[in-house]
Amino acid sequence: MSDNKLKIGIYELTGCAGDALLIIDCEEELINIFKAADIESFLMAKSDNNEVKLDLALIEGSVTSEKDKELLLDVRQRSQVVVAIGICACFGGMQAKYLDPKEWQENLKKIYGDLEMINNIPLQSKSIDAYVKVDYYLPGCPIGKEQFLSAFTRMLAGNPPELFRFPVCMECKWKENDCLLNKNRLCLGPLTAAGCGAVCINHNLPCLGCWGPAEEANRASEFQLLLEKGFDQEHIKQKMANFSGSKIFEFFARLKGEKR
Amino acid sequence: MKKITIEHLARVEGAGGIIATIDGKAVTDVKLYINEGPRLVERLTLGKTPEEDINLVPRICAICSISHKYAAIRAHEKALQVKVLPKVTLLRELMHLGEMIESHSLHVYLLALPDYVGFPNAMAMAAKFGFEAKIGLEMKQFGNHIMKTVSGRFIHGENPIIGGFGKWPSQEDLIWIKNRAIQFMPFVLKTVKLFSELNYPDCPESETQFACLNPAQNQFGFVGEEIILSSGEKIDVQDYKHLTNEFLVSHSFCKRSQYKGKPYSVGALARINNLGERLPGEAGNMYRKYFNSRWKKNPLFNNAAQALELLYSFERIPEVVDLLKKLPDPEIVLSAKKDGKGTGAVEAPRGALFHYYEISKGLITRTDIITPTAQNAEDIERYCYLAAQKLLESGEEEKIKDRMDLVVRSFDPCLSCSVHMVQIKKASPEDWKLKLSALKKTKELVFIGVGTPSFSDDRIGLELASRLRKSGVKSVWLEPEIEEKKDVFWQENSGRPIIFLDALDFGQSPGKITLRPLKHLFWTSTLSHRIFPLVSSELDSHQLMNSFILGIQPGSIKEGEEISEPVFQAIKTIIEYLR
Repeated sequence: MSDNKLKIGIYELTGCAGDALLIIDCEEELINIFKAADIESFLMAKSDNNEVKLDLALIEGSVTSEKDKELLLDVRQRSQVVVAIGICACFGGMQAKYLDPKEWQENLKKIYGDLEMINNIPLQSKSIDAYVKVDYYLPGCPIGKEQFLSAFTRMLAGNPPELFRFPVCMECKWKENDCLLNKNRLCLGPLTAAGCGAVCINHNLPCLGCWGPAEEANRASEFQLLLEKGFDQEHIKQKMANFSGSKIFEFFARLKGEKR
Repeated sequence: MKKITIEHLARVEGAGGIIATIDGKAVTDVKLYINEGPRLVERLTLGKTPEEDINLVPRICAICSISHKYAAIRAHEKALQVKVLPKVTLLRELMHLGEMIESHSLHVYLLALPDYVGFPNAMAMAAKFGFEAKIGLEMKQFGNHIMKTVSGRFIHGENPIIGGFGKWPSQEDLIWIKNRAIQFMPFVLKTVKLFSELNYPDCPESETQFACLNPAQNQFGFVGEEIILSSGEKIDVQDYKHLTNEFLVSHSFCKRSQYKGKPYSVGALARINNLGERLPGEAGNMYRKYFNSRWKKNPLFNNAAQALELLYSFERIPEVVDLLKKLPDPEIVLSAKKDGKGTGAVEAPRGALFHYYEISKGLITRTDIITPTAQNAEDIERYCYLAAQKLLESGEEEKIKDRMDLVVRSFDPCLSCSVHMVQIKKASPEDWKLKLSALKKTKELVFIGVGTPSFSDDRIGLELASRLRKSGVKSVWLEPEIEEKKDVFWQENSGRPIIFLDALDFGQSPGKITLRPLKHLFWTSTLSHRIFPLVSSELDSHQLMNSFILGIQPGSIKEGEEISEPVFQAIKTIIEYLR
């Protein structure tokens, strides 16, 4: 424990734990991560966890219960920098599909009836920035190893992470794949943030949109392109909402304001 | 009273915890909490296509993502009658073996082993056990490599689809995997030796029911169309509900399962117990060398069972690759069917996993997913209870927390599909009142006084019941009356929580009052009266969960003597409270 090492915490809210697991999957690099920083808290990897003031907190998962919210608020107030990792923390994830609180309540009731939880209260799933200020977003479902390691190293040096701002199509072209849209398959590549290396299209499968919307893409024109290909507007939205949850609708709302 | 809390169960995948409440020498409560919020995954698949579903459901849990995808694919293929080609089945087996290796090696070497050699994590362990940490990591890396090669990514790869794969791996990729598996063999044999010879504590030990899938043709393996139980019973996977019988508990968003009213275990230990005889090759030899009766009753041997399955998986990979190499890459055949229903089952690394779908006009209308950790939750609580109770009785209270941690971790729970935490809590003297009043709010209570009439303090239960009745409390029965009027009893009281009134020795001073869950007494089989099994065999799981023994610590239990003064005061306290 030397004083100049950053104190880091990695936390999991509700989700599949895939982003924490991906960090563990960094294997060889993981050893270097543990050497380069003081990992104060990482439940999946260690049991001697210290809940102290942190320089950097990585949070995965969406807020889906009061306990999630308590943990998130606590981590935020003792962390210099908070990074949302993974689609659930960034956008709410697949569990944030319900827009209307009533609809969510009804569905909750269908599964759990009138059962009252003695130690936890369910909340409609939301991305973490619904409750706290988020400094950086690292999307992905799960996050990508290369992007994580590059972003993490930059953050260790006190710099902001640099992410790809363009859509999956760019990476897909680098791989010299045939465009699936030309084969009339509904590929969400034009609308989805890059970083995965166009992995699905590399396997002849259309992009699912699991990294969420590409902020800097020419969204209006890309969306228009999909409509021109004859894909149904609602179907495209539903497919994007499969992963990006409620936030995707904010994205589409903004889209309307842009020129067609 | 006291609570032992494992606030955050570390080194498991996901979020949850365990709280044990202690009253004198009795554990009055053990609860496995799952802090994951409700994601309503089953409901959000409704209205989606089967293709969308297989993209979504693996997100239930990252560590079992291949198993979830595989189970869902099997279910949809069953529902839509998709013909599955041999090469597809083989390549799916390979990716599934990859997940088994990744998950088991992560668990035994990096999550479990630090406990047995006294380190808080694998990184700290690596300083002294560098070889073990390195082997663990390399095996895990190899598992990941297989998953990435076949499914496209370490986690949530999308290459497996209904009917086949988006892209077939190259011959070179397959041969590399085969050769690497062979190179690992000496280390895998060492792994089995290490985890079979570990010094596992003998507490808790208690037999359970084991359930796993029964692979076809008397083979060992991780898929099947039938469930097999340690009793030899078999259940068609389409009838998986006969096994799982899901119910809800108020301390977790994860549903629970029981078979025939009792907890059961799934996972590597269940598979080795039920199918170990079928293990081929070196895995078979090692099974015959190490398997013994303790594997049947001690959940900590799940680590050894996982090591054995690692060996099976490493031996199986070259066979699978050789078979795959001979087959040309087929065209995927899709089904024209748009309606149907079906169950797909696979063994996830931590146990049997079931996916059920109903599909109408190409869209999902009903989904049911039963995860292994949900099925193990009851047995996790049971074994934690047994461990805590035994350590308490032998005066080793300080060991309870660590032991419960060991027990929970041995189940390798994937807590995001269901559960992080262990707490030990001392029950307050008022606990019984709080619990009873919470129970009263749900349904009217039924009281049964039990005891032996001629023995001083042992007639507490009968005495208390008679006095309750006199003071005007309704639905009070005495033990002998139930045997006489069984039918009337059940007519009047079906579905209501039952509170047995009894003398209960829990190591406190005479006259202390406590409330113990009825099911705990089944777990330890310390049933002092015939009435307990008689009544309990009629209870459904919900009723059993809400039934308790309201006990008073007796003073003397001698023939003929009067009830002692402190006990008499306790009877008065209870009557005042319940009246």
